[in-house]
Amino acid sequence: MSENDYRVLLEVEELTRRFPGVLALNQVDFDVRAGEVHALVGENGAGKSTMINILAGVLQPSGGKMLLDGTPVVFHNPADAQRAGISVIFQEFNLIPHLSVAENIFINREPTRNGMIDWTNMNKRAAEALKRLEIDIDPRVPVSSLAVAQQQLVEIARALAFDARVIVMDEPTAALSEHEVDSLLEIVRSLAKDGVGVIYVSHKLEEVFRVADRVTILRDGTHILTDITSNLNEEKVIFAMVGRALVHGKCPDRTLGQVVLTVKNLDVENSVRNVSFELRAGEVLGLAGLMGSGANEVVEALFGLRKAHADEIVLHGKALVIENPRNAIRSHLGYVPNDRKKAGLLPDLSVKQNISIGILERLRKVFWIDGNGEQASAETYRGKLNVRCSSLNQRISNLSGGNQQKVMLARALAEDCNVMLLAEPTRGVDVGAKAEIYTLIDALVDSGMAILLQSSELPEIIRLANRVVVFSSGQSRGELADADLTQESVMALATRV
Amino acid sequence: MKNVLNKIWKSYSIGVVVVVVGIVLSLLSPRFLSLDNLLNVMTNASLVAIVGLGMTLAIASGNFDLSVGAIASFAGCISFSLVPSIGVPASMVAGLVAGAVVGLTNGLIITELRVPAFIATLGMLTIVRGITLIYTDGKDLYLFGQTGYKVLSGEYLFGIPTPIWLAVGIAILLGFVVNQTRFGRHILALGSNFSAAQRSGIPTSRVLWAVFSIVGVTAALSGLILSSQVLTANGRLATGLELSAIAVVVLGGTSLSGGQATMVGTLLGALLISMVNNGLNLLNVPIFYQELTVGVLMLGALAVNVNQGFDLGSLLRRKA
Repeated sequence: MSENDYRVLLEVEELTRRFPGVLALNQVDFDVRAGEVHALVGENGAGKSTMINILAGVLQPSGGKMLLDGTPVVFHNPADAQRAGISVIFQEFNLIPHLSVAENIFINREPTRNGMIDWTNMNKRAAEALKRLEIDIDPRVPVSSLAVAQQQLVEIARALAFDARVIVMDEPTAALSEHEVDSLLEIVRSLAKDGVGVIYVSHKLEEVFRVADRVTILRDGTHILTDITSNLNEEKVIFAMVGRALVHGKCPDRTLGQVVLTVKNLDVENSVRNVSFELRAGEVLGLAGLMGSGANEVVEALFGLRKAHADEIVLHGKALVIENPRNAIRSHLGYVPNDRKKAGLLPDLSVKQNISIGILERLRKVFWIDGNGEQASAETYRGKLNVRCSSLNQRISNLSGGNQQKVMLARALAEDCNVMLLAEPTRGVDVGAKAEIYTLIDALVDSGMAILLQSSELPEIIRLANRVVVFSSGQSRGELADADLTQESVMALATRV
Repeated sequence: MKNVLNKIWKSYSIGVVVVVVGIVLSLLSPRFLSLDNLLNVMTNASLVAIVGLGMTLAIASGNFDLSVGAIASFAGCISFSLVPSIGVPASMVAGLVAGAVVGLTNGLIITELRVPAFIATLGMLTIVRGITLIYTDGKDLYLFGQTGYKVLSGEYLFGIPTPIWLAVGIAILLGFVVNQTRFGRHILALGSNFSAAQRSGIPTSRVLWAVFSIVGVTAALSGLILSSQVLTANGRLATGLELSAIAVVVLGGTSLSGGQATMVGTLLGALLISMVNNGLNLLNVPIFYQELTVGVLMLGALAVNVNQGFDLGSLLRRKA
C-alpha cells in the first residue's frame, strides 16, 4: 500500500497545549487520511487524551493549527467538531441509558414531522445505521439493557449517522472480551474501507498491530515517531513509548508453600455454579475468562460483595464465612477491584488518606488519628510500591492511572492481608507502570503472599500466574499449569460453551 | 503576583468576600462597625451556623438533610412543654435528645429502606412538622417566668452572647472530628465514593446513622436558641431553615458533591449572609429586596462551587 494513495482528511501542525505547570502537547504533528486506521499510542500522560480532547473540541489548543481538507479550522466546542465531521467515541460513553438506541443515535437531530419526533422514520434510519455495521440490535430497546460491547457499537452507529468522516476511538476495547474485540476490529477495518479516517487510541499493542495502517507514538507530550505499521514491531513501539524494553513471557519459578485457601463447590447468585480450587502461599492462581465468564464474580463473592454459597471455604485452616468486605478484611483478605474509578478511588482524598482508609483503627491514638503514624505508614508503602506523587497530601485524582493503581495495592497491603484478590490489576495502566506492577506481584508472592488474580488479558495471566482456572458461562472449564499453560490453551477453554 | 492572588482567593475566597463586604458596609453605614451591631450580626449568624455545621457533615457524606427546620421546631416544642415538669436544664437535654432521635430515624430510613436522603428527609420534614402541630395543638407554647431558659440566647460570657460561643465551639469540635478522627475520615470517604468506602471495610450504615443524629442535635440546638430568644415555641418555628443551612454550607465552600468539608467556611458563610441582611437593614433597603439580594448571592456561590472554584487568575488574564 502506498501512502500517497490516500487523501489527507485532518491534519494538525505543531499542536501545543499548555496546562498550568505542564506542557501536555508540544508542537505535535499528526494527520489522518481517508480510508486509513491511524493508531495513536503512548503511555498515560503522553498527551493522547489532550490530543483527543482538542480534536473533539472539548479543549482548545494553546498553539499550532488544525486543517480539515487543507483548510484551517477552529473548534470552539464539541458541536463545532461534530459539524465538521469528527466524531469522538470516548472511553466513557456519551450514551443516555434511559433512552432507546435510536434516540441515542439521533440525539439532538431527531427527524421530525409537524414539529413532533417522527418515530417510524427515526427507528428505520437507526436500523439502517446498525445494519451497515452488521449488528443485530433492536433500535427501540433502551441503551441500558445492552452489554458494554453493544453500547460501543451504538456509539459507532451514532458517529456514522452524523456522517462522520473522522472517527476517533479512545481505548475502544478496554471493557470488551477477546471475542468482542475481534468483531470490533473487523468493524473498524470496514469503516476505513468505506473511506472513513479512523484514529485508534489504545494501550494494547496487539490490537494496534492487527488494525492499524500507521502508528504514531507520543511520549511526554512530544511526537516520537510516525510510521507504517509494517515497518514496526512491538518491541520498537514499546521502546519508543517508554524508552526501555519490557519483559514478556511466563512467570518466574515459584516456591509454593502450604494451601492457604480452599474453596469447594462455590455457587454465586446468578452467575457461577460449582467452582472449586485451592490456593497456596507463594502462588498466583489465575482466574481467566472472557467478560461475563464468572471469573470476576468469584473474586467479588470471596470478598463479600455478592450473595454466594459454598460447601466449604477454608482460609488458613479455619472455616470462613464472609458476609461483607469488613469481615473479609478482618480475615486478612486484600482486594483490588477491577474498576478503580468506580469501586476503589476516594477521589477527594489525598494519596495518604487513600492508603490508610482501611487501617484507621490501628492508627488510633486516644480518639483521633495518629498523624505521624499515618504519615509513616503511607511513606513506607509509597517507597515499597514506588508511587510517584509530588506529596502524600496530593489529591489522588491528580495521579496517573498507574500510580493510582499502586495506591490501590498499597491500601490492600497496608490492611495486612496475606491472601490478595486482584481483579484486572493493570486495567487503564500504561506500559511502564504495568511492568512495575508485575515485578511487584512477583516480589509479593516471593515473600509468601498468595494471590488470586482475575484478568481478561491473556498475556497478563500467562505472565503472572503459575496455575490458571479457566471460566466460561459461569463454570470452571479446567485448570492449566506448566507447559500446558499457553495463551492458546486458555483461549480454547475460555471459548468452550 | 497573580498566582499568589489566585492562591489566596482559591483557599480563602469566602474569607476575602466577608472582609470586602465588611469594609464596604462599614463605609456605607457608620453604625455597622459598632460593637452592639457586630454582636447582633454574629448572633444571627450563629443560629444558622450551628445547624449549618451539622449540615456540613451530612453534605460531606454525600447527603443532605431537609428536615432540620422541622427538627428545630419539634425540639423547641418538646423542650418547652417539659419545662414545668422537669425544669430548664433537663428539658433542654430532652430537646436535644428529641433532635437526635429524629436524626437517627432519618439515617435508618436512608440505610435500611434504601431511600435517598432527599426523599427521606423531605418526608420527615412533613411528618415531624405534622407531629409537632398535633403535639402543640397548633398553639404557641410560652415560658412564663422561666427566664432561666434565656441562658441560651440572652446571656453574655466575657461580653459575648451564648449563641456565638456555641457556634464557635461546635465548629471547633466538628472541625476536629472531620479532620482528625476515624469517624470524620469515614464520612469523607463515604461522600467521595460510596462503593469504594464500602470495599475499604467502612461500616457505611453506622456512619450515616451517626451523621444524621449529629445533624438532628445541631438542628435541635438551633431550635432551642430560637425559641429561647422569644421564650415562645410553636410548630411553625424555623420554616425554611433547611435552605439557609444548605446555603451557608455551600457559600462556605463545601462541595455539594461530597467528600470534603470546611467548618470555618460554614461559619463564614453564615456570617456573610447575616452581614448582608444586617447591612441592607441599616441602609433601609426594603425587606423584599433583601431576599432578592441573598438569593442572588447564593446562586453566585453555587455557580462558583459547581465550577470547582472560581479561577480569578484567568479573569485577570482575560482582561490583560
